[in-house]
Amino acid sequence: MAEFYGTTVADIFNTMPKRFKPEEAKDEDIAIGYECKGEGKWKVTIKHGTIKVEEVKGDLKGCATTIHAADAETFIGTTLGKIQAMDALTTGKLRVVGDVKLLMTLLPKIFVQYTAPEKKSSVVAKDIISTITERFRPDKAAGVDMKVGYDLAGEGGGKWTIVIKDGKCAVKEGLAKDLTVKMTMPAEIYVGMMLGTISGESAFTSGQVKLDGDMMAAGATSRFFNKFVDPNAKASEAEELITIKVTNSINCRFATGTAYGMWFKGLKEKKFLANVCPKCGRTQITPREICAFCRVRCNEFVELGPRGTITAADVVYFASPDPLTGAVRETPYAMCWILLDNASPQEAFCFDIKREDLPKMKVGARVRPVWAKETKGTFTDLLYFELDK
Amino acid sequence: MAAKRVAICAVAQHKNDSDLWYKRFQGMLLDVLEDLQAQTGFDFDSETGVRSIVSCSDDFFDARTISNNGVTDVLGAQYRGEEKMAQEGLNAIGYAMAQILAGHEDLVLVMGHCKESQPESRELISNLGFDPFYGRALGLDCLNAAALQARAYMAKSGLTEDHLAEIVVRARQCAARNPYANCREIIEAGKVKGSPMLCDPIRQLHAYPVSDGAVGMLLASEERAKEFTDKPVWLTGFANCMDSFFFGDRDLTSNFALKGAAERAYKKAGIKDPKKTVNLVEVMDAYAYQQPMWMEGLGFCKDGQGAQFIDDAGLGKYKVNLSGGMLAGDPVIISGLYRAANAALQLRGEAGDMQVPDVKCAVAQSTNGPAGQFHSVLILEA
Repeated sequence: MAEFYGTTVADIFNTMPKRFKPEEAKDEDIAIGYECKGEGKWKVTIKHGTIKVEEVKGDLKGCATTIHAADAETFIGTTLGKIQAMDALTTGKLRVVGDVKLLMTLLPKIFVQYTAPEKKSSVVAKDIISTITERFRPDKAAGVDMKVGYDLAGEGGGKWTIVIKDGKCAVKEGLAKDLTVKMTMPAEIYVGMMLGTISGESAFTSGQVKLDGDMMAAGATSRFFNKFVDPNAKASEAEELITIKVTNSINCRFATGTAYGMWFKGLKEKKFLANVCPKCGRTQITPREICAFCRVRCNEFVELGPRGTITAADVVYFASPDPLTGAVRETPYAMCWILLDNASPQEAFCFDIKREDLPKMKVGARVRPVWAKETKGTFTDLLYFELDK
Repeated sequence: MAAKRVAICAVAQHKNDSDLWYKRFQGMLLDVLEDLQAQTGFDFDSETGVRSIVSCSDDFFDARTISNNGVTDVLGAQYRGEEKMAQEGLNAIGYAMAQILAGHEDLVLVMGHCKESQPESRELISNLGFDPFYGRALGLDCLNAAALQARAYMAKSGLTEDHLAEIVVRARQCAARNPYANCREIIEAGKVKGSPMLCDPIRQLHAYPVSDGAVGMLLASEERAKEFTDKPVWLTGFANCMDSFFFGDRDLTSNFALKGAAERAYKKAGIKDPKKTVNLVEVMDAYAYQQPMWMEGLGFCKDGQGAQFIDDAGLGKYKVNLSGGMLAGDPVIISGLYRAANAALQLRGEAGDMQVPDVKCAVAQSTNGPAGQFHSVLILEA
């Protein structure tokens, strides 16, 4: 299919439903036929705010108006506004059978102007890998001894091992047996990350990148190389609109106070300690200074659970980094509301459930806590809940 | 119909401390709430009690976004109206006044808290108040912004290092009589002059100490005030004024925003000459140079005459910061509430060892934003 102005005729028809403005076309009832020599025929049916675009093999039937372009360049050029429609009509390269005004009035009203997609880089993973040795920075890799494997699936992909040792760097085809870390991902994700169009962080959190081995090593590798520069990209021009990436971080030290302090003391003893409202008897888990409903201090503590019942749950597929460690959490994982035994109704406690139990997790299921081997009075003492069979 | 009036019926302060490591800020607020209820007996009845709470806190100091959401239980706000003043605390009083003056509420609880000891550095937090491209990157913060202003003001007013030391020594002498002040130790001028230089000309003892605190007040309409107190403190004027965010645009010694706020607050309260009418002043003096500078802005001292004002014992004459002020230690964002609370205690005759006779009209002032970008002024009367 011929390409003009970075666009093919099919691109224009394929994007029509997306560019369609239903509210502008709610009173329209029309079928328009398109013929573009050498490219094909299409029928666009617009009816009361709906649109149907179909490619037609034979004759254009049932169309009130048909538009005929002599070639792809004319059709694409007039659509993009690169060629004046009037000029194309007078030279006969564009011909309309039926209502000519459609071109000037109806179509601009009911469609968002087509814009050609940005030219995609033709760089493939193989090209980037081939520049690794020249981008290597021995000064940054002093004393480093590692083998990083890349298993990049798809077009332009392949399997490579980057060997960094004694301030030298070499690329070998295939994956070595004694890799420090292996990164598996689609080749296009790798290209995107290297070109900076995909952030490493989001590639990891979305599960596109799989790591086997030393995660820290994987994170460190970018330091050893100069940034890859796309040779196809235009020389960068000074831009007025830029963004600056900054991490704002201030260390904090949070006091627990007595109520939350008791909670952590309980965790150390593998107990769930809730405090009880002296007025309404509600159990508060985790404990707080006051019962919000009765506005009285809650100084008495009771032990809840340890078993409980799931009252609600959701499954998280889009993982954000673990707030405690910054590391990527493996998905999916669950957030469960668990009503511990002896807790007052609706005073549920939210926590993770064991990964293997996810398929069987349901509201009403009984669960029990699984504790760390050594409990220290911290959040990580409680690992997760598991189904209590 | 006579104009509506708003009264402070009670104030409660948490003792300021440099490191309340053993208490959550929720616990601090709860102490204040219980103190207020014990004083006045108010409750949260949906017909006759407090239905609206105005809180004041800082997201970055609390290290959580929409910082009020996490403290609503200890504000008594469950199933009641609650809104946060993100601007300096004196404006929480202004907002509560507006609710009552509009006839929308007749009883409003004002509660503020800040735990400056929670983050590693309060300067890092004030740095985040600047724009991310230039100000932050440069390392501007409230301290070095204030130092620029201090240097400029000292040059204009003739204020010297001796004056600054005198101001701090006096502040500590006052604070020694205030059970809620953070630093109550009486110190000598030599100690002030010998304290480390933080950011020239501001020395460590010229700057307020890191402080954790909480303040609460019960405000009521004139009709309802008598249910809760026989010593109402009337709020007769309030105004604030904003100067340029880009402080390079400002004349740092002009006091423009403070003059604007003061002028409007005085007008509202019918004060023609504050020097004649006002008996007591509480200013938010995060740094020593600010006491005479804000007194200029409030109209008690001629422009650029700060040094003369100190030499003429103007601070004593106008009873400035008998509480010890912010220099003795209370946190940002609610310092204005501490200022108003101390003024109210004096007007009620409940200021204990700090009490001076015949206080009928007081001014509380506060500021926020680097080098006094924004100022608020409240007039309180017995």
